[in-house]
Amino acid sequence: MGLLSKKDSKLISDPLLDNNPITIQVLGICSALAITAELQASIVMSISVLFVLGVGNVVISLMRNIIPSKIRIIVQLVVVAALVIIVDQVLKAYAYELSKTLSVFVGLIITNCIIMGRFEAFALGNGPWRSFLDGIGNAAGYGFILILVGFFRELLGSGTLLGYAVLGDPIEKTGLYAIGYENNGFMLLSPMALIVVGLIIWVQRSRNKALIED
Amino acid sequence: MENRTDKNSYTLLFAVGMVIVVGGILAFLASSLSPAIAQNEKIEKQQNILYALGINNNEGSSAVFIDASEAPEEFKKNVTEQLVLTFKDGSIVKTQTRQEYMDEANQEPYLIDVKKQQNLQKTEGTRLLPLFVGKNPEGKTLYVAPIRGKGLWDAIWGYVAVDEDMVVQGAYFDHKGETPGLGANIKQTYFMDDFTGEHLLNDSGVFKGITVAKGNADPKNNDKNDYEVDAIAGATITGDGVTAMIKKDLGLYVPYFKTLKK
Amino acid sequence: MEHIELFFKSIFIDNMVFATFLGMCSYLAVSKKVSTAVGLGAAVIFVLAITVPLNWMLDQYILQPGALKWLGAEYASYDLSFLSFIMFIATIATMVQLVEIIVEKFSPSLYNSLGIFLPLIAVNCAILGGSLFMQSREIATLGLATTYGVGSGIGWFLAILAIAAIREKIRYSSVPAPLRGLGITFIITGLMAIGFMSFGGMLTGGDEEEKSDTNELSVMPVDESNELTIQATALEDKLTQVNQ
Repeated sequence: MGLLSKKDSKLISDPLLDNNPITIQVLGICSALAITAELQASIVMSISVLFVLGVGNVVISLMRNIIPSKIRIIVQLVVVAALVIIVDQVLKAYAYELSKTLSVFVGLIITNCIIMGRFEAFALGNGPWRSFLDGIGNAAGYGFILILVGFFRELLGSGTLLGYAVLGDPIEKTGLYAIGYENNGFMLLSPMALIVVGLIIWVQRSRNKALIED
Repeated sequence: MENRTDKNSYTLLFAVGMVIVVGGILAFLASSLSPAIAQNEKIEKQQNILYALGINNNEGSSAVFIDASEAPEEFKKNVTEQLVLTFKDGSIVKTQTRQEYMDEANQEPYLIDVKKQQNLQKTEGTRLLPLFVGKNPEGKTLYVAPIRGKGLWDAIWGYVAVDEDMVVQGAYFDHKGETPGLGANIKQTYFMDDFTGEHLLNDSGVFKGITVAKGNADPKNNDKNDYEVDAIAGATITGDGVTAMIKKDLGLYVPYFKTLKK
Repeated sequence: MEHIELFFKSIFIDNMVFATFLGMCSYLAVSKKVSTAVGLGAAVIFVLAITVPLNWMLDQYILQPGALKWLGAEYASYDLSFLSFIMFIATIATMVQLVEIIVEKFSPSLYNSLGIFLPLIAVNCAILGGSLFMQSREIATLGLATTYGVGSGIGWFLAILAIAAIREKIRYSSVPAPLRGLGITFIITGLMAIGFMSFGGMLTGGDEEEKSDTNELSVMPVDESNELTIQATALEDKLTQVNQ
């Protein structure tokens, strides 16, 4: 990271682990539960949030001195919603196939509290460049957890990764299934996402004792 | 920062300005892009209907439409007639051909908005039922009907192709926002293909529909006469939505198929 | 009857937290103490009860295709549904800002304990989710929309109250240190959600009736001549159903 000062690079690296939006700041949980039954959906969602949070943080940061504090929530929401709708409409007109894959996520992105949370906590008080880095860092931390959860749920739940059967064929009984392994369909249900995140928190806090709550 | 941005007049001015700017951008975008979007949606509908007829580029387990550029031509070639049935108070009172409907409404029958028609049925008891007559790749005549319902999060819809005995020959389902990996799998080939060969009517001609059943005795769906297909694990509500839309919408077509048999 | 069914359905079967996992962020973060949980829960009921009917009216009279008919026939073809996200959000954000101002005036202690999460009610997906479900499930009347809003709010209130009570008690248990706080809350919520799945079977009795209804409707005769035979077969079919 030769381009970035030490302080700036911390903005990116912190949210990846020690200040992770999902496991520490408790932001953006709903979407982490809704879409992680499949690895591919987790990846698509992570990239979309990376884009929206990066651009949104810059826009809000540029506007931070002219936004009236009384209606700042409305302004923030309008900025996100407008941004997402514009992208959605443009994709619908020029990249229809892609837009169909993404349409599921439009509502989830607008209401993703990670976006509002970072606007409120960071972009309103910092310059555009630092806000951009903060947005990218937090979105990456968010995506990291999402992809991790998606990986375990898809692997254990349907025995596939990105749709490819990696553990063998459950009907033909090849690969792992030949020795009696069964898919755990329970992993596909949303409550299991909560439990997987809980376990990730366990691992993370065992490694870094400073994060333990009392 | 006790300054101008806290004043009421400034707040009001800002709000008005924001509404005008954002509203302007969105309205401009919506009106300038709407022809392109409408064109894309039109082609998608054609692709859906062709898919139900069995005309697609499926590879392995993923559902692939025929190319968007080929769709209009293929649609013209394979969909030989588009009927519009008028449903009123429990029976079909009028049958129009494509030409008759086009003269009256100046719109292709396949563009009839199913959601709007469902609302009309609720409020006025009458509804238009489009029915597309086409040939599958084997040259057999099939009838494709659109259906629409509700899943867990949002709308789900589909096209079901049946022969004149109302035995399903192909189905296409789609959704607006079902859970990826769960409800969203209704548009996977393994789920859609299960419907092929299922009967909608019992031996005495009573409409039974097809139930998306979990834990049924026949997970590989060898029995095509049980009015059941295997559900997707973890997607109960979406599956129930599919069951309901088949019952509610396809059931309305039964009287028409009875006239075919006479 | 319709109201009662929708009310219980939105509290238990379609519980915002346990069935659709909406509003999780504030649910997890503000459930440390029962008193704050009650405050936030009440705020959510209040906001949902106002915004769902409000957005219902917006949807019916402005946004839906053809909704502008009341302005005159020439407006009937307008379709503003692409604006629904932004309109719903604007309504919600306005209401939330209102609640924020009111709470700050009358209960500064609650205002302080809710902290960042009061503005976050605006993006509490349970609130927008309520309005979007109302739209996609095509709730028919203003009254039903209100019932739905209140019911969903109570469901959310119940969920956060339950988890807050458990969290207050669990402090006395010997949870492994790294799991304490957030970790164990995630896991308990998961288990509660699995428990709530059992409510799914609660209203299936109603579906059976509906089924026989559609059967009857679909075999309505085309003309007089085959009316009798069809009715006979329908009867026969019903008899076999009853026998089963």
